[in-house]
Amino acid sequence: VTTRIVRTVREFEGTSVDVVVLVDDSDEGLGEWPVDAALSVVGRSQSRVDGPVKVSGRARYTVDLALPGMLHAAALRSPVAGGKVAHLDLEGARTAPGVRAVLGPDDAIGSGSVRALFTELEYVGQPIAVLAADTPAQADSALAAFALRVEPGWFSVDLMRSLYDQRFVSEPIEEARGDSEAALARSDVTVALELETPAQLQTAFEPHAALADWRPDGLTVYLSTQSMFWARAELARALGIAQDEIRVVSEYVGGGFGGKLGAGWEPLVAAELSRRAGRPVRVANNRHDEQLTGGHRAWQRQTVRLGASREGRLTAIEHDTVAAMGVTPRPVPFRMVPMTLYRCDAVTARTFPVKLNLRGVNAFRAPGAVEATTAFEQAMDELAAALEIDPLQLRRINHADTDQRTGKPYSRKALLACYDRAAELAGWADREALRADRADGLLRGMGCASQIWGGGGGPPAQATVRLGGDGAATVVTGVQDPGTGTLTAVRTVAAEELGIPIERIRVRGGDTVPNLIGPAAGGSQTTGSIMPAVRQAAIKVRTKLLDLAAERFELAPADLEVRDGRLRSRDRVLDEPYTVVLAELGDSTLEAAGARLPNITDASINTFGCQIAQVVVDPGLGTVVVERIVAVHDVGRIINPLTATSQVEGGILQSLGFALCEERVLDPTLGAPTNSTLDDYKLPTIADVPEIVIDFVGAPDLSANATGAKGLGEPPAIPTCAAIANAFAHATGRRCTALPLTPKRVLECLA
Amino acid sequence: MEYARAGSLDEALLLLERAGASALAGGTDLAGQIDRGLAAPELIVDISTVGLEEITPTDDGGLMIGATVTLARLASATELASYAAIATAAGLTASPLLRNQGTIGGNLCQRTRCWYYRGLEWNCWLAGGDTCYAQIGEHSKHNLQPGDCISAHPSDMAPALAACAATVIARSTAGERELAVLDLYRRPSQDNRSLLALRPGELLTHVRLPAPPEASTYRRLGERRAFSFPLVSVAAARHGDRITVAATGVANVPVALDPTDPLRDLPGNPQTGWKRRALHTLVQRATDDVG
Repeated sequence: VTTRIVRTVREFEGTSVDVVVLVDDSDEGLGEWPVDAALSVVGRSQSRVDGPVKVSGRARYTVDLALPGMLHAAALRSPVAGGKVAHLDLEGARTAPGVRAVLGPDDAIGSGSVRALFTELEYVGQPIAVLAADTPAQADSALAAFALRVEPGWFSVDLMRSLYDQRFVSEPIEEARGDSEAALARSDVTVALELETPAQLQTAFEPHAALADWRPDGLTVYLSTQSMFWARAELARALGIAQDEIRVVSEYVGGGFGGKLGAGWEPLVAAELSRRAGRPVRVANNRHDEQLTGGHRAWQRQTVRLGASREGRLTAIEHDTVAAMGVTPRPVPFRMVPMTLYRCDAVTARTFPVKLNLRGVNAFRAPGAVEATTAFEQAMDELAAALEIDPLQLRRINHADTDQRTGKPYSRKALLACYDRAAELAGWADREALRADRADGLLRGMGCASQIWGGGGGPPAQATVRLGGDGAATVVTGVQDPGTGTLTAVRTVAAEELGIPIERIRVRGGDTVPNLIGPAAGGSQTTGSIMPAVRQAAIKVRTKLLDLAAERFELAPADLEVRDGRLRSRDRVLDEPYTVVLAELGDSTLEAAGARLPNITDASINTFGCQIAQVVVDPGLGTVVVERIVAVHDVGRIINPLTATSQVEGGILQSLGFALCEERVLDPTLGAPTNSTLDDYKLPTIADVPEIVIDFVGAPDLSANATGAKGLGEPPAIPTCAAIANAFAHATGRRCTALPLTPKRVLECLA
Repeated sequence: MEYARAGSLDEALLLLERAGASALAGGTDLAGQIDRGLAAPELIVDISTVGLEEITPTDDGGLMIGATVTLARLASATELASYAAIATAAGLTASPLLRNQGTIGGNLCQRTRCWYYRGLEWNCWLAGGDTCYAQIGEHSKHNLQPGDCISAHPSDMAPALAACAATVIARSTAGERELAVLDLYRRPSQDNRSLLALRPGELLTHVRLPAPPEASTYRRLGERRAFSFPLVSVAAARHGDRITVAATGVANVPVALDPTDPLRDLPGNPQTGWKRRALHTLVQRATDDVG
């Protein structure tokens, strides 16, 4: 076995980075699942490995865990959006009943390189101090003993005011190709659209939570996270200890949606409190604090200007995004959609990252792309109307055959097939008849939107497969499964290659200790990263199994196969249970590791799709009901249709909430959100769920990886809101300049 | 905080005479009030087993509904088949879980959902503070009448019961009185911020329905298709050639509306004005339903 260094690229949330990977030659030459491969497990619906324990309430999430002697933390948070701490009685808190440890703003956390507690206050909810006590009630009661007094200061939660003040959290960015200004001036037709989109809160059902147990032999952190390994690296840096001294465990994660990427605040203070108290410490948000500080999609105002020829070819694109970033900078792919969705030679996309007195923006399911698509695809419909061209046809005319940013070809792209299939499933040809039927006084309409995103994944991603003498196999990976179905897909891939019954395969993830590096559950990168590694490990174990069988039955390995749990010779003379050769192993196991191979560098790996929404609007009440969403996506091979469709449904629902009802509201007087509860922050309910029709088109993307599968976590969330807004405009002839489409906005828009 | 399960109505009324006593039925609003520091009862008097869970016919062809009858039961009660507005309102309130727990008495006595009133960050006028933060802040879901407080009443049941000419019976150790449903409410004043006209120690024990109207209906606008307090809701009932209309979501308290001029005295403001259009539509549709 030899190992070599390979330079490759890896895309994460719209940004490609160069990475160096070690390639073990045993991972090469294992072939691929060709487009027409006769797969017997992959591509068929497999039920969730964690379904029974979750449905029966036996899955133990981080918030459910308790360790002997565990202390409960409570955080003292800023009541003001601007100002400073005038008085804080740390000693009072230390002597409050049950309190075992207190951290104030001046106490170093770990190496002291990261600040987690503050005296200069920049947003409501910002942590000032934290304590750990014997019971949750003692911890909450002890907060009063801090006797906090603040000196309120200036703040702004007004997006446009801060823009006029040029108050940026990082430098504005302009990305351009060609001269869009001149091209706009020369265009036959131009349209402009302004749109305000709200801050949407991830609202994971399990709040941010960490349970830290710092012992002399190392630190264990149970963490509700989408990225165990990022968390481990961040904690090691912040605490000044080696990564190998830290174990991060994330067995069950109650949702993340981007808000749980990275270590976050909770494990940092939990670890430091545990170190000081010598006891395990639990830090978990209540719902109010989760909605206040858990993160959000950036509140934005966008301006889109499009120019086109009479035939409908885009000649110019200008797309400006003013984004409320909060108090900390963060790279968000705001410009990916205008730069790459359609073919156009003159594009300018600008981002204005405004500083407001709010917690910094974090990732939220296709950050930037959901919002940009919502504005950009509405402008495309305005252009279609101005040109009197069918909206889907306008999108076909402007199809980009190559990556408009890099000039590279796409590894695969079946967007045109998505349009055709979606139109067929939605009855697009009848949309004007649908609109014309107003017998019941309601307004109906249909709208579409396109989707582009990454999701190819890449190295490093590692897996091991063990097959024991009892015939049971275990797959170990470094992934966490925040409800996405990742571990179920891992099991599916392993079953395909091992050829043994899927029930005999256990999957393990959610723990850094095996030290098998896996991807963060973000950027839709998990499937494309880990599945090839699992496949390779499983192939190697199957090869060992067949080698043993060949020796025992005195046949050539090439004449043997294992399938459906049977070991067979090609001539079918031999047909035995696969366990027949394993029984001799005793306590030994057949074991192998697999690792993700490098990405190709001469093509862009992306995912595509089209959704069509059908809505009905009540002009007297301002209600918008989504009757149906057709979602057709091109994400390569589908490993498990059951969990794949579940991901699409979830993405659609989350963006249906963005379109219709989800919106953080800020009080101008205090700068605090007014709706930090689940009764005021309106998520869609099951009654709001439309008929959802899902299909996948496009062949396996074998240029992306040997399984041909790409990511699906984010793509379905991207076009939904735009499609709904376009359907609303089709139904009413009006376009709301702000989302979500609440009864108030709709009635004002239709007035 | 003490808890006492009353064994009889008389025992409950005695316990409720104590200062700091609060009645507990379904608890779906009381628990939220305690959680948010809006209520800090010293004594919780559980009235779930004092015999207020019956629906009984009255001699005049109406019904007597005990205060602890759940909304789920009201939504499906055969006795309410002739009171469509009431059954519909009960079935549209909150969610199935809350309807199984919440009671008709609790629904009528619940407090406003104004987010400044409920929010931890503000000490608003209605809660005893000096400022109505809603009026200088985000109040697009608030009411259409100017005043010291612009919170909107959230009860689905109140307008439905009012349109059907229901009364409520309030009892204390001092005796019993009967009020029209809308008289259960008062606009808050500088001296008394309560929205309820109940006196200290008084418990709402029953809702009395007269004989059913010829027709009744309930229509609402929510923020989503289920599990939402009404933004605006309207009930209408036809009694002979007279149509009565009541609404919630448009004033501090549930109000009766003149069906020929429903927007009178409800001017709204730039943030809430949109509710006038919704109210107009709901009144039109509701009166059409019973017309």
